[in-house]
Amino acid sequence: MKLVNHLILRITLFFAIVMIFWSAIYFFLQMKEIHDGNDEGLTNLKQEFIAKANKIPEFIEKLEKNAPLNIIIKEIDFEEAETLVEHFTTQQIYFATELEEEEVRMLTTAFRCELTGKYYLLQFFTSTVESDDLMKNMLYLLLGLWITLSLTIFIISKIIISKANKPFYKLLDELKKFRIDNRQMIDFPKTNVNEYAQLNKSIKELLERNIDIFNEQKIFIENTTHELQTPLATIIAKMEMLIEKHQNDKKYTKEIAGVLNILNRMKRLNSNLLLLSKIKNNQFPETSPVNLREILDSVIADFEDLAAYKEISIEKEGNYCPKLQINKDLAYILFSNLIKNAIAHNHQKGKIIICCSSDYITIANSGNEVPVNVFIRYQNAATDKKSSGLGLSIVKSIADLYQLKITYSYNEMHIFRIDVKR
Amino acid sequence: MKILIIEDEYALLKTMEDFLLSEKYMVEKATDYHSAMEKTMIYNYDCILLDISLPGGSGLKILDKMKKEGKAGNIIIISAKNSLEDKILGLDLGADDYLAKPFHLLELNARIKAVLRRKQSDGKLLLSLGNLSIDFAQRQVFAGDKILKLNRKEFDILAFLATNKNRLVTKETLAEHVWGDNIDLADNFDFVYWQVKNLRKKLKNSVSQAAIENVYGIGYKLTI
Repeated sequence: MKLVNHLILRITLFFAIVMIFWSAIYFFLQMKEIHDGNDEGLTNLKQEFIAKANKIPEFIEKLEKNAPLNIIIKEIDFEEAETLVEHFTTQQIYFATELEEEEVRMLTTAFRCELTGKYYLLQFFTSTVESDDLMKNMLYLLLGLWITLSLTIFIISKIIISKANKPFYKLLDELKKFRIDNRQMIDFPKTNVNEYAQLNKSIKELLERNIDIFNEQKIFIENTTHELQTPLATIIAKMEMLIEKHQNDKKYTKEIAGVLNILNRMKRLNSNLLLLSKIKNNQFPETSPVNLREILDSVIADFEDLAAYKEISIEKEGNYCPKLQINKDLAYILFSNLIKNAIAHNHQKGKIIICCSSDYITIANSGNEVPVNVFIRYQNAATDKKSSGLGLSIVKSIADLYQLKITYSYNEMHIFRIDVKR
Repeated sequence: MKILIIEDEYALLKTMEDFLLSEKYMVEKATDYHSAMEKTMIYNYDCILLDISLPGGSGLKILDKMKKEGKAGNIIIISAKNSLEDKILGLDLGADDYLAKPFHLLELNARIKAVLRRKQSDGKLLLSLGNLSIDFAQRQVFAGDKILKLNRKEFDILAFLATNKNRLVTKETLAEHVWGDNIDLADNFDFVYWQVKNLRKKLKNSVSQAAIENVYGIGYKLTI
């Protein structure tokens, strides 16, 4: 749920509850006010009546004969009068003229006429607002009011909150686009809202720190691998001098050859790491339109001997010559690593099929093992001690550099596919 | 033959010196920018091994100055950077070759010899080993007066072993020289063995006086 809707729903819900509560209170207060008014009128009528009945003889008799519409007079005995307590009621009375029962407010009291000494039951009534009707009308009115108010609140707050949140959503969009290896700071939305300004500031600081650390780390890796080259060169040279001097001693020579072997592995690892960090640091800026097929052909020519040695047949399919605007050396490194990989992870008398189409190039090779994630460093088969395990990482980073999609799949053969249409 | 080594890492400089002395070269050394500049301006060398990052300034500046002064080059850049721009810039400035650190001494030896060969005035790029002669320009090998048919890689192997004759060349050094840095494969050593075996057979059949000796299974040596 969006934050705006989340907020507005709650505000509206709360508002509705308050409205319902207040409507009920309002209704009952209103009814009480109406009844109070009526009751006062009835009390006045009663006092007037009693005053007149006590002054004017035969007032009651005359009144009884005329049968007034809003008074009921009935003679009662003393006991009955004694027990009767004056009270107000709301009740239904049948009106012949209206042909229906109407709600009335009635004052019931007892009275002793001072002139005659007789006791009477008096009932004064007045038609009053029907609470049903009132309730209905009020409900409609209030409902109308609620809906209009709720809608207004909903719409207005939605507009206001959406507007106020705009910098927030823009920031979110920008953050989604952010990639640390681009090392490009995002555009921060302008805002007058304090919190958002603070959010912008915090995120900016966070990103800057991260970019700095990322850069430092990249430079660190490059510097370290670079600085290692000279000591490594010294050790290798010294070892080679040693092997030279002691070559009559077989045991000694073999021992040093073992050390040299490890040193050479270290050297390859180091230079591959250096290459990898150079690619990632975008230190191959020159690009030119490169015919990938030509590159592939020259790579194949370079690996011919090795393939022949393993009796691997290399087949080429498709006559397309996909061209890309990339760095030529990187293109060579890309394909040589892929072909090298296809030869290394192949079996004797295996097969490599290279297919060039207008949209993609696939390099498929026979082989047994099914690697899981081939592009992650050091995913090479554990037995393979001579390989640096960086070959496919280098492939991946070159592909990433030029936004080329490279995928691996297994379908009886290991297939690497590079989409050359970006 | 007089060689100047310009290198600020003393241990490496010393080892290179020892090696080059064993190859019967005369060796001079410079460890910083100023002494290197001075030496290159005053004396003439048959070959200069130049490190690019030096205390006091860049080796490329020395190269530039030499070019401007019209000094004959024979310069091999030795750099830890292995960056393409440096390589291209260096070669543009008149360097003859570029060798990335870390390198094999025997590879350095081969490069120096190649540079020296190219600068020889007679223009003949011949190397004789007994009855075997190697023509580097035509990439041909003669055993006596008969041509020895070798494929590209076999020629490279023989040429490398011949330039480093009587020295133990490990399989790795050989593989790297012949197949480049690409050769970091699990089975490349068997592959090297296979290639050398073919070459040895051809040498034997041509009654060559030079033979490739297998040293303890770790490398090869060309002897006469």
